[in-house]
Amino acid sequence: MTFAATTSRTRPQHDALQALTGRLRDDYGDRAVTAQAVREQHSHGEGLADAALPDVVVFPHTNDEVAAIVRLCHAARIPIIAFGVGTSLEGHVAALYGGVCLDFSQMNRVLEVNDADLDCRVQAGVTREQLNTELKGTGLFFPIDPGANATIGGMASTRASGTNAVRYGTMRENVLGLTVVTADGRIVKTGGRARKSSAGYDLTRLLVGSEGTLGIITEVQLRLYGLPEAISAAVCQFPDLKSAVDTVIVAMQLGIPVARIELLDDVQMDACIRYSQLTEFAPKPTLFFEFHGSEAGVREQAETIQSLAADHGGSRFQWATKPEDRSRLWKARHNAYYAALALAPGKQGFATDACVPISRLTDCVLETQADIVQTGLIAPIVGHVGDGNFHLVVLFDPARPEERAKAEALAARVALRAIAMGGTCTGEHGVGMHKLDALVAEHGEAVTLMQAVKRALDPHDILNPGKTVPP
Amino acid sequence: MLDPTFTSALARLVPPAALLTAAEDTRPYECDGLTLYREQPGAVLLPDTEAQVVEILRLCHAARVPVVARGAGTSLSGGALPIAQGVVLSLAKFRRILAIDPLARTAIVQPGVRNLAISEAAAAYGLFYAPDPSSQIACSIGGNVAENAGGVHCLKYGLTVHNVRKVRAVLITGEIVEFGGGALDAPGYDLLALITGSEGLLAVITEITVKLLPKPQLAQVALAAFDELEQAGAAVGAVIGAGIIPGGLEMMDREATRAVEQFVHADYPLDAAAVLLVEADGTPVEVAAEMADIIAVLKASGATEVRVSENEAQRLLYWSGRKAAFPAVGRISPDYYCIDGTIPRAALPRVLRQIETWAQEFGLPCANVFHAGDGNLHPLILFDANKPGDKQRTIAFGDRILELCIEVGGTITGEHGVGVEKIAGMCAQFAPAELERFLGVKRAFDAEGLLNPGKAVPTLARCAEFGRMHVHGGQLAHPELPRF
Repeated sequence: MTFAATTSRTRPQHDALQALTGRLRDDYGDRAVTAQAVREQHSHGEGLADAALPDVVVFPHTNDEVAAIVRLCHAARIPIIAFGVGTSLEGHVAALYGGVCLDFSQMNRVLEVNDADLDCRVQAGVTREQLNTELKGTGLFFPIDPGANATIGGMASTRASGTNAVRYGTMRENVLGLTVVTADGRIVKTGGRARKSSAGYDLTRLLVGSEGTLGIITEVQLRLYGLPEAISAAVCQFPDLKSAVDTVIVAMQLGIPVARIELLDDVQMDACIRYSQLTEFAPKPTLFFEFHGSEAGVREQAETIQSLAADHGGSRFQWATKPEDRSRLWKARHNAYYAALALAPGKQGFATDACVPISRLTDCVLETQADIVQTGLIAPIVGHVGDGNFHLVVLFDPARPEERAKAEALAARVALRAIAMGGTCTGEHGVGMHKLDALVAEHGEAVTLMQAVKRALDPHDILNPGKTVPP
Repeated sequence: MLDPTFTSALARLVPPAALLTAAEDTRPYECDGLTLYREQPGAVLLPDTEAQVVEILRLCHAARVPVVARGAGTSLSGGALPIAQGVVLSLAKFRRILAIDPLARTAIVQPGVRNLAISEAAAAYGLFYAPDPSSQIACSIGGNVAENAGGVHCLKYGLTVHNVRKVRAVLITGEIVEFGGGALDAPGYDLLALITGSEGLLAVITEITVKLLPKPQLAQVALAAFDELEQAGAAVGAVIGAGIIPGGLEMMDREATRAVEQFVHADYPLDAAAVLLVEADGTPVEVAAEMADIIAVLKASGATEVRVSENEAQRLLYWSGRKAAFPAVGRISPDYYCIDGTIPRAALPRVLRQIETWAQEFGLPCANVFHAGDGNLHPLILFDANKPGDKQRTIAFGDRILELCIEVGGTITGEHGVGVEKIAGMCAQFAPAELERFLGVKRAFDAEGLLNPGKAVPTLARCAEFGRMHVHGGQLAHPELPRF
């Protein structure tokens, strides 16, 4: 939980900035904004308030406009930060050295949908909910669901996953190709509509997850899926955390193609019951399931899981088959973060992001739970446990520095525990500016290569400087 | 020939039997599965420890001697073609399966382990390794990672890049690096994806952690016959468009089925213009539901006959022809040239029709057997290298097919890699700005360009040469493509 390491990079010269801002106003009129309120709005994501204001925010409409803006910044060596809707959690969009924020909200068209190929091409500013709305009637959907209504460009940049990665993968598996503006302002296409290619290095996946530090993503070719014939969701409650986690591990080992498995510990379940009025449930360790498939397939998956859960002392399934019941359940899950904050009004919270091989999940979760109890902090556990990924929302009183220190120490222990078990401390939220130390701890020598790749693709360090790789 | 002082320095790093320098000893390494290209290496090294690999690379780096890493030598694009002034670094002795974790469903293996050997070892836990290139009995997992190998099951279970968790490798400077991790996602740049498919240009792989999948309880295959090639192509799109992702979706045209029928006697419908093999796998309930959907789509797409395997023996029989297609074609023609383009599935009917027309124009039979679900074509152009002009026409025909693949939004190689074979095609597929990114990545890993030089990514100067050649020959097929 440290801030970006010091770097030789400094804020751009005042004169250079003035010249650039003037030029952007000439070229883009109202779409180049320097108003304080707009800059503030673009200075941070969610999570810890670690704002840093850009000098100007521009709203491009086309790939060519993005390329032209990047060329100007490249010539003047001014930082450029791509911005979706600002839902990232690790300070990805903070303009640490000022510069230009490129807001993609007006590049929000779905460019094509190819039914027979199960893919589509969208501009980077399309949000995932917008995409699924536009796909209505095609029988297709885009499954990746990180909770927030993020943009596809932002999700690609942070290699987002979410509640149903256990079945559909993360953005790594679902981005087929990209249009990218390079650091010197050229438009490059990576990947493409072909389902596989072994031509050249995999720049698509290199760019996915690069957090705007290697290129600016302007269009994304995405994989789509046929809407399942049947969907049903169920809730199962357990006497203790271990039983719940063990159930998940066995289900994964059997390869049951569950679409989502979410774990909430007793504290988190209690928070959700209060916050989202889930009064039919008890504040006990709980698993939320969702099943996708044919009618018969869904029934079979559910029966198998139900008997596994029963073996581990799980309750009978409480079903949510109607769409409105399901969305109530998942909304409660997505609001888990706010529910956790509501447990202790006045406190602030931040999320940890540990992910371990599933064979170590029980150890990792139970040791973490014991650790939380020791600290006396409130830190509910919630997780996409089918992937071995779980989060704590660690609450602390901002007025009491020693409590914040305790919270950060807990988060650091969670990270180290995950790494020691062969996992990672950033399962899905990315590195941004907060996890640079962890990157070094996990990757060692490979970080040098990442830095070399960064220098090769962005020699003047103008693309989102201070993020993803240490300087 | 290598400098004798360099060779004697090599001799100090490995046991005597692990260094080959005599011409008769290095000859078996002169080519890989693409026998059109041959070159004898200055030396062949067969280390059996990572420490030896580190020392060898350090020495080669210091002496600026190029290194070509080699697995089982089954590459179809010349990825392991040696360099006369360089060494071949064979990983053949790295053949141990180090660990299997059935709970995490992963296996840690050395790069020389055969692809199929992983599934054989994992079978004891009811698990398997999904990517299954046709050469899986022979090809090594290290080579699979280097080439991002595919196979029949990749449609549903992904390519090598989707099935590898972690790679340990040695850089040309001798440093050991690890990419990826034990968990779902590793932070920072996805160097694991970058090393996968990098054709030995970035690092030498010494250890791989692969994902294992639970073996499906049941698999069943439908064999569908079509009177028109285009109908079969359209049926592929219809199956996928219906939201079904089969365990395998393969096509063979008449030329191919007739060749394999003599070989495997699987009772293929020989009058059909094309045959599709569509597999459903999962629990019996899932398979029954999916198979019903598949049959309905195939019939609606104009299939004249649909047979469904009734037992495992029959399923394997239906697949036997597909799996044996290459050797079967090898029996009916003195030579064949396998093309490996990939296109968006929706373009299949158009591209297949065009290949059929060209086959007549060029006067060369062409058998199509391929991963239809992925849109990954493998036209086999049949020719006789001893007939004057046949080879030239074959290459021209192949180039036309690959140019068409690019034109419809596809790629010049779906799974075989670029190697030396398609280095010119890279200039047609990628624009200068894109190739510059590739070269930048290469420099970040291997600034001196010592790892497998001359393969996979062409220099801009080389592309300029190719570009001129094309224009001078007056055969610039698609002037709208970026060239320079």
